[in-house]
Amino acid sequence: MELTETIEQIQQEARAAVLGAADLGALEEVRVKYLGRNGTLRQQYKQLGTLAQEDRPLAGQALNKAISTLERLMEGRKSALAEQAEQQKLQAEALDVTLPGRVPAIGHQHPLLATMEEMIEIFLGLGFMVAEGPEVEDYHHSFEALNYPEYHPAMDEQDTFYVSDQVLLRSQTSTVQIRVMEQQEPPVRIIAPGRCYRRDTVDATHCHTFYQLEGLLVDKGITFADLKGTLEIFARQVFGDRCHVRFRPDFFPFTEPSAEIALSCTLCDGSGCRVCSGTGYLEVGGSGQVDPNVLAGVGYDTEKYTGYAFGVGIERFAMLRHGIDDIRLFYSGDMRFLEQF
Amino acid sequence: MRVPYSWLMEYLQADIGPAELARELTMGGLEVEEIQDWTSEDGKATDQVLVTSVTSNRGDLLSMVGVARHAAAVLGASWQMPQIDMGLLGEPVRGQTVAATEQVRIELANPSGCPRYCGLMMDGVQVADSPDWMAHRLDAAGMRPIANLVDCTNYVMLELGQPLHGFDYSLLQDGHIIVRSATDGEQILTLDQQWRTMTESDLLIADSAGPVAIAGVMGGADTEMSWRTTKILLESAHFDPTSIRKTRLRLGLASEASHRFERVVDPDGTLRALARVAGLLQETAGGSIIGPAADACVADVSPRTIVLRAEHCNRVLGTALSAAQMQQYLEALGFETQIEADGRLQVAVPTYRPDVEREIDLVEEVAIVHGYQKIPTTVPGRLIQSGRLTPAQKFERRARATLRAAGLNETISYSMVSQRDLDRMGYTADAPERDMLALANPGSDEQSHMRSRLLPSLLQAAEHNQHQRVESVRLYEIARVFMPVANDKLPCERLHAAGLMMGPYWSSSWNLPDESREPDFYTVKGTVEQLVGTLGVDDVSYRSSDHPTMHPGQCAEILLGDRSIGIIGKLSSTVQAEYDLDRPAYAFELDLDALIECAGLYSEYQRLPRFPAALRDLAVVVDDTTENTAEALQQTVEEAGGEYLAEVTVFDVYADAERLGEGMKSVALSLTFRRSEGTLTDEQVDQQVSAIVAHLEEKLGAQLRA
Repeated sequence: MELTETIEQIQQEARAAVLGAADLGALEEVRVKYLGRNGTLRQQYKQLGTLAQEDRPLAGQALNKAISTLERLMEGRKSALAEQAEQQKLQAEALDVTLPGRVPAIGHQHPLLATMEEMIEIFLGLGFMVAEGPEVEDYHHSFEALNYPEYHPAMDEQDTFYVSDQVLLRSQTSTVQIRVMEQQEPPVRIIAPGRCYRRDTVDATHCHTFYQLEGLLVDKGITFADLKGTLEIFARQVFGDRCHVRFRPDFFPFTEPSAEIALSCTLCDGSGCRVCSGTGYLEVGGSGQVDPNVLAGVGYDTEKYTGYAFGVGIERFAMLRHGIDDIRLFYSGDMRFLEQF
Repeated sequence: MRVPYSWLMEYLQADIGPAELARELTMGGLEVEEIQDWTSEDGKATDQVLVTSVTSNRGDLLSMVGVARHAAAVLGASWQMPQIDMGLLGEPVRGQTVAATEQVRIELANPSGCPRYCGLMMDGVQVADSPDWMAHRLDAAGMRPIANLVDCTNYVMLELGQPLHGFDYSLLQDGHIIVRSATDGEQILTLDQQWRTMTESDLLIADSAGPVAIAGVMGGADTEMSWRTTKILLESAHFDPTSIRKTRLRLGLASEASHRFERVVDPDGTLRALARVAGLLQETAGGSIIGPAADACVADVSPRTIVLRAEHCNRVLGTALSAAQMQQYLEALGFETQIEADGRLQVAVPTYRPDVEREIDLVEEVAIVHGYQKIPTTVPGRLIQSGRLTPAQKFERRARATLRAAGLNETISYSMVSQRDLDRMGYTADAPERDMLALANPGSDEQSHMRSRLLPSLLQAAEHNQHQRVESVRLYEIARVFMPVANDKLPCERLHAAGLMMGPYWSSSWNLPDESREPDFYTVKGTVEQLVGTLGVDDVSYRSSDHPTMHPGQCAEILLGDRSIGIIGKLSSTVQAEYDLDRPAYAFELDLDALIECAGLYSEYQRLPRFPAALRDLAVVVDDTTENTAEALQQTVEEAGGEYLAEVTVFDVYADAERLGEGMKSVALSLTFRRSEGTLTDEQVDQQVSAIVAHLEEKLGAQLRA
């Protein structure tokens, strides 16, 4: 058989082997078999010597061409197989994306403290500083300095926990008003959020421990109208622009005039529902112009300065915000509750 | 108070239904909590009752006439008193001690406790049921009708606000009434058949034989009116509210009368009430009045005059009301007002409004009648500062955020615990934590003391969650604890942080090996280290320690400098069993204020390294003793580390008797060398490592592992 025919035949055979190689390994075997140092095709160079001198160039050319063609073919096949292998690998790595994600174990913020923090942010924006005072207070800061007469029925409403005659658990954050004013000359612009205690029987809507946020602004020319404006802004920030504040006369020894603060119920827009007990309003706290006796008690000039004060309960806001219907849950430490927020 | 609508409307001239009236009263300072339908027992009469909630400064609103008077002012309507024939009293005889008739003599022996006491005698009265109209009104107002004599006194109390008392004259020793202080230990049997022991601060009504009533609080049983009564002595008095309140509180004895006297009854209304009740008694029980009335009185019943500056009123309220408008509002309340030439208002405040004492009180009255809704809404003009948190407040927020990031859920628990909680935690009887602030009037035995630690509360929470079959419990609380301070009436309040972990860390994860889900000592320690780190505190270390609540071998004290500020540990098996916890639990508690006091708000930037570091790992075998701690090894390495050793960390510790020998452990350390102004050569580093190994061997007997 002519050498060129043999080359042609091997080339055909190799071509079929390359195209038939199922993976990169098989392709490598094919390469070694035909193009390796001892490969069938390379072996043909040895045969060139057996040819007549004049036939050698032609046969040599044919052999070179066959080798380069096969190399090109092999290159093409190799990248096709590599691509195929990559595809298979990716396929094998495919996940069930509907399985749940592995959630980072980040803890949750308590809904009461989250609500309090949001309320604090609103007042920081209005230029208030955050003040603090002791939870265990003396009689003076709790009552005397807040203008409570010693023997007055207003004392009945406090229902205080006592440590001794002179020491008690604060029943309202108003005590912090006094603590701040004792330390500072006007202007005073503070809020005082914190824990308070009252001897209440614990049920779904009452608890002996609760959180309040107190506000106090004393300066020249602070009016009852300013109190209304400040709380109006606060209410809208918390419950949206539809919410408005209702002020009605009330009595607190440390403010005069005094006003109860009620917010229009945004669940029913004031038409009355279960949450607002059909009244259209939710009582959230007390407020008023700081009584001159309180200001004089800390040495402020009551002709020069006026001020307003307010106190709101935080539980109520948190309950409304999250639809919580049992106040005891706040203090339960129940993971099933805490992880919902 | 229960205010029957039809009764009230007898005195109020206004065309207004109960619902709208309730709304107007509520916005005008007398809250109407609800409107109830009332039907008489025989079904013949019906009414609607406004249930009011009266603030403690407004005793004047505890009567039908008082409500009508206030409603008229708020509504701009008119009102009237009932028809009262003052002539029934004859010419009342006034003085501190008065003998009005032969049978009635009254002496004010304690004029500050009782500045006015009016008495009137009636004879020939006949006890019978009250007429329907009166019985119905009493019933609707919430007082059970009994018989005409007592019903008439109750009726007048509800109508005019003046509590009255009737004595059976025949049961008195004589008609010589003395209003005096009690003597210590003096006893009286009250209407409710209880013997009451009095003190010097109590005020008594007595006759020549002894006490017949506790003034303003309750009558005596011995002189009570009954179905046999025909001759009565009526009392209409004014008592000092403080005295009544003290006695009421001491005896725990509240009555409709004491409720009103504590809130001040009009001293100018005693004779009017006496005439009113005499008239009603004649109408319902017959009999004749033995006059004149006795009016033992030292009280000043002239109106109080207060000046109101119109501009001051506007300055407080933020309004622009004229003096004339203010005058109109005040006169609607019954306050006679004159505008002076300088624009000031001279206001005469009647005796039924003792709460109005100062100019600011008048400002409130003006605001109420004007209507709070009509006061403008403004924003305080002068911005004096921008609001911001103090550094300490920022640190507290940062601490909370860090603990949440570490996977702990924020909780809040009650500040009150009991000694029993400390028993459960394994504290001995003499533990310093036992020194807690005790409440004088605790709500329950379980909540008798202010907590000195937060962990008792977190353990209770763990117990609760365990009982709810919660698999993973991860909680923290940041709150105040309370420590009594010698020679200081107020305790020391410190902000503490505490955390507890029990059960798998990843509660909702699949395909994770169980062991990598469980926390251990180092999980909770790492949390504390993270907290300390984010607060920028450097000087914190940990020392093996004992704590009654903790596993003796897995407990560390947290040290800030030399000062112990908290603990970390695994709960001991005893505590674990006490709280019924079925998995190992780990906890920490520390004095957060102590960390905050030395926290750094901002970290200082460290220049990024420009040359690569050289890393070397080193494994050494040492005796597994309590001295050869990881910290000791690290320190030893640092001692010989030279100037380029930047960091030493422990990355593996294990003990294996077969491979290492009994009582030995292997500790693998990772060393980082770095030079800021160039690359270190291998020789430089190797040389330093050799020095370190030599020092480890010399100091701790450590052998380099192959």
